[in-house]
Formats: sequence, structure tokens, C-alpha cells
Amino acid sequence: MLPHRSRTAVLVFLLPPLLLYGIAVLVPIVQSLVLSFFSWDGITAMEFVGLDNYVRMLTRDDIFWTAFVNSLGYLAICLILQLGGALVVASLLIGLRRGRELVKTLYLLPAVISTVAIAFLFQRMYALEPVGLFNQALAAIGLDGLQRAWLSDVGTVLAAVSIPEGWRFTGLYMLIIYAALIAVPAELEEAARLDGASRWQLFTKIRFPYIRPVWITTTIMATTYALRGFDIPYLLTNGGPGQASELVTTYMYKTAFSHTDYGYASTISVFIVIECLVAVGLIIMLLRRRADA
Amino acid sequence: MSARRQRLDVHRALNTVAVALIVIVQVYPLAWLFLTALRTEQDFASSNPFSLPGEVTLDNFARAFETGNLGLNILNSLAVTMGANVLIVLLGMMAAYALEVLGFRLRGAVRAIFLVGIIVPVQIALVPLFIDYASVGLLDTHASMIVPLAGFALPMSIYLFSAFYHYIPGETYEAASLDGAGPYRIFGQITFPLSLNTIVTIVLVNSIFIWNDFIFANTFVLSDGLKTIPLGLQNYIGAMGNVDWTATFAAVCVTITPLMLVFLVLNKAMIQGLESGAAKG
Repeated sequence: MLPHRSRTAVLVFLLPPLLLYGIAVLVPIVQSLVLSFFSWDGITAMEFVGLDNYVRMLTRDDIFWTAFVNSLGYLAICLILQLGGALVVASLLIGLRRGRELVKTLYLLPAVISTVAIAFLFQRMYALEPVGLFNQALAAIGLDGLQRAWLSDVGTVLAAVSIPEGWRFTGLYMLIIYAALIAVPAELEEAARLDGASRWQLFTKIRFPYIRPVWITTTIMATTYALRGFDIPYLLTNGGPGQASELVTTYMYKTAFSHTDYGYASTISVFIVIECLVAVGLIIMLLRRRADA
Repeated sequence: MSARRQRLDVHRALNTVAVALIVIVQVYPLAWLFLTALRTEQDFASSNPFSLPGEVTLDNFARAFETGNLGLNILNSLAVTMGANVLIVLLGMMAAYALEVLGFRLRGAVRAIFLVGIIVPVQIALVPLFIDYASVGLLDTHASMIVPLAGFALPMSIYLFSAFYHYIPGETYEAASLDGAGPYRIFGQITFPLSLNTIVTIVLVNSIFIWNDFIFANTFVLSDGLKTIPLGLQNYIGAMGNVDWTATFAAVCVTITPLMLVFLVLNKAMIQGLESGAAKG
């Protein structure tokens, strides 16, 4: 700490950032909390409805529950692709002798591209008429029977809108996990190898426990990002067909800006925050406990 | 021993093949995007997507610039990206300086308040900001995008600057203090110049998210003149959902190329930034 610091100096440096942060983040959070107890269409007078919005969301709104279940499916697919994929690729990458930097760069490339561009790209790839990349790839390996319009099929649309999000960020998590894996002390691995540990044992007994803290961080990141995932489903299907790919986030957005039901939309957005906090709590509890056992 | 060596070699080879295959699958959609932008429409409609274009054409790019407002979209994206980055860097440094170098009694509480912004999803701010902007006439401005983009990125920026300032030895400041330098001069002459590497990292990482932002732009911006690239791209969906795919893909290529080039040139710094930012966050 500086010897000549003064209270004024602290305020001069601290107030501008706090001001921006307050306007953009803190005040809106409080406003959302307040609005969630009101019914308001933005034009007529606000009406205090107490907990009614919450009761409606949790007990009377089927679309909300469909969206919630869909969000969990979206989350599962994103986690498998992002974390599972990242772990596999990072593990393979440390076995590579040359070209690691090139692989890292290429693998991260999708993370640089906008969601709108990605939505265009996948819309074309999923198409059946004219035949898109996915369906042509299926035909090429003799699985013509599986061809379909992936985005209009109720059974596949949720997976179809989740995969681009998984694809987009798997490179980011791969980088983080890779950085953790190469930090595992070589002596530790060498000792285990001399004791006759198999590759699988080496991974489960030495490497994975060593990177567990990083694994917890990436799991939290991937989970909270997936729970707030919005752009790609909104752009690809806008929740359709029907509610087959509706997520809590797209439902909240429509409630706010198509139906201008600001009060209820705020209630749903409060739910999204709580959902993220609960998820973080659960992850820390589950992964920590397993570490102690 | 030689049998073991052979097995290791086979393992290595399989490993390399697996990585190569995965990278091809991962990158192929992007390659396909660029190839499609160079195809003629007939070629696109009829040919195999795994083939190279029969003839290379730049017509798609011409049509892309005719159909949309690409130039204007790019200018808007530049304005928003620069505006938000200036705020993120400047305010991030200031807050980190107050928290880490000056120090004060409630700094634990202030840190906790900033942490909220890392955890909380941006969706919570959409409705309130829309209402607030409408009441003060900020809807449909560059500022309406810059404020939340900078606000939500600020905590990570403060965190990275703080982590860095933590390792600047106290003697550096003490020497300057003895020479009579006050907190403002120390910030300008010592802390700021030392921060340059961290600034580069923060700007690179944030630029990706800001340049590509869709949700704030889509919510707060309505007029064509202010649309950023992600919104501008949507103009390529024509009436009745008809899309001129080759032209659209040309437009997509134009808009993603600048960021991709920056990334390919500066990927070391960017990868480092992402790794450190994420692994500690």
C-alpha cells in the first residue's frame, strides 16, 4: 500500500468504475428483483402482484417447465461436447511431439466467430432441401436412412441447436485443461509408470486428481455459460418447432420483448440467476466431496 | 525392449492420426464456409460439399456488399469495440489500483460486489436496461451497447489487473513516494506503463466477445444506421426467408476475417490470456 494514499485518491480511482458497474450491472439486478413482483406491460400503470409471478411460473406455466427441461438437455450436450471433448483432445495433445501450437490455434478458431455467423453456417449444414453438409456426410458413409431436416424435426432439434454451442467453445476448455495437464509433474507420472500403472490408471489416479481444481473451474464456467446460452437457439429456431427447442433464456426474451410482459420476464430472469447460483453450489459440493473421499 | 518401443511408436502414430482427424472435423465447417463463398450459385446448388469449387468467383462478395450495409456495420462494430475496450481497460486499471495498490478498509466488500458480475448472467439486465434507456433516451445509440458490454466485462478486467499489480514489489512505489510522487503520478508513471502486457491480453480477449455481441445489440438497437456486424448479417435473410447463400457466406467471411487474422497473428498472447483468465477465474 502506498504511504501517501489519501481518501480522496481512493475515491477518485474507485468511483468511476463503480459508477459504470452500478449502472450496467447492480442497479439492473435490483430492478429485476423489484419488477419480478409486479405486473407491467411497459405502458399502463405497474401493478404489485406479490409472489403471483413466481407461483405462475412454478405451478401454472407448462411452457416454462418445457423450457427448463430443454435447458437441462442443452446443458448436458454442451457439457459432454465441451468438457468431455476438451479432456479427450487435451489428453491426446500432450502425446503429440510436434505441432501442438498449431492444433491449439486451429481448435480454438470457432471461438472467434460470431454466433450469427455460426447460426448461418449450421442452418445450411443441417438443411435437407437442398441437402446440407450433415446429410451429405451421412450419405457418404452409407447412412442415408438417417437423413432429415435436423432443425424442423421435433426429436432432433434440441440436440441440433446445442451442438453448435458445444463446438464453439470446446477449444477454450481444451486450452485450459491442456495447460493444467502439462503442469502435472513429470516425476509423479514417471514414478507411477515404474510401479506398472497402465495408461488408464495413470490418468485416473495421477493426472485427473492433479487437475481437479481446474476441472472444477471449467465445469463451473461451462455450466453457467450453457445455462445462459441464448444466441444460437434464438437465431436457429427461436424455440421452435412448437416449444421443442425453447430454452428458459429464449422464453424469457420472448416474454419480455415480444409479449412485453416485463414483470413476468423479470421473474424468469431472476430464476436464471438462481439456477446459475444453485448449479455453482452443486458443482463445488459434488466435486469437492469426491476429492475428500 | 524393442517390442515395447514398437508399441509406443504405434501408440504415437494412432495418437497423431486421432488428433489430425479431430482437428479436421473441428475446422472443416469453417473451411466449407470460405469455399462456399467462392463458389458460383450453380456450383453451390449442385455439387458435393467436399469438393473444391469448380470455378472460383468473387461475384458473391460484390453481391454481399450490394445487399447489405457491410461497411457501415463494420464501422459501428469498430466504434462499439473501441468504446467498450477503453472503458474496460481504463476503469479496470483504476479499480485494481484502488483495490490493490492504494488499499482501503472496505476493499473485501468491494471485491465481492465486483465478483457478482462474473457469476450473474447478462439476461438479468436486459429488461431493466431497456426500460432505463427508454426513459433517458439512450435506446438506439452506441452507448446503449457499450455500457452493458463494458459493465459485465469489468470484473474480469479488474481481476486480471489486480492479479498483476499484486506482484509489483512495494519498493517500486516506495522509491517514487520518497521522491514526492503522489498517487496520481505513480499511477500514470509507474503502474500504467507496467500494465501494457495485461492491457493487450484484456483487449484481445474482450474484443472477441464485444465484436461478436448479439444479445445487447439485438435488444437495444433498432435503426439500420447503428447496426453492428452481427445484426447486419441478419439482413441477408431476405423476404419470406429466402437466403442468397453464397452472398451471405461471402458477407460472413468478410466479417469474421479481421478477427480471425488478428487471432492467427496474435494467438500466443490471446491463448495465454484465455488460459490465465479462465484458470484463475
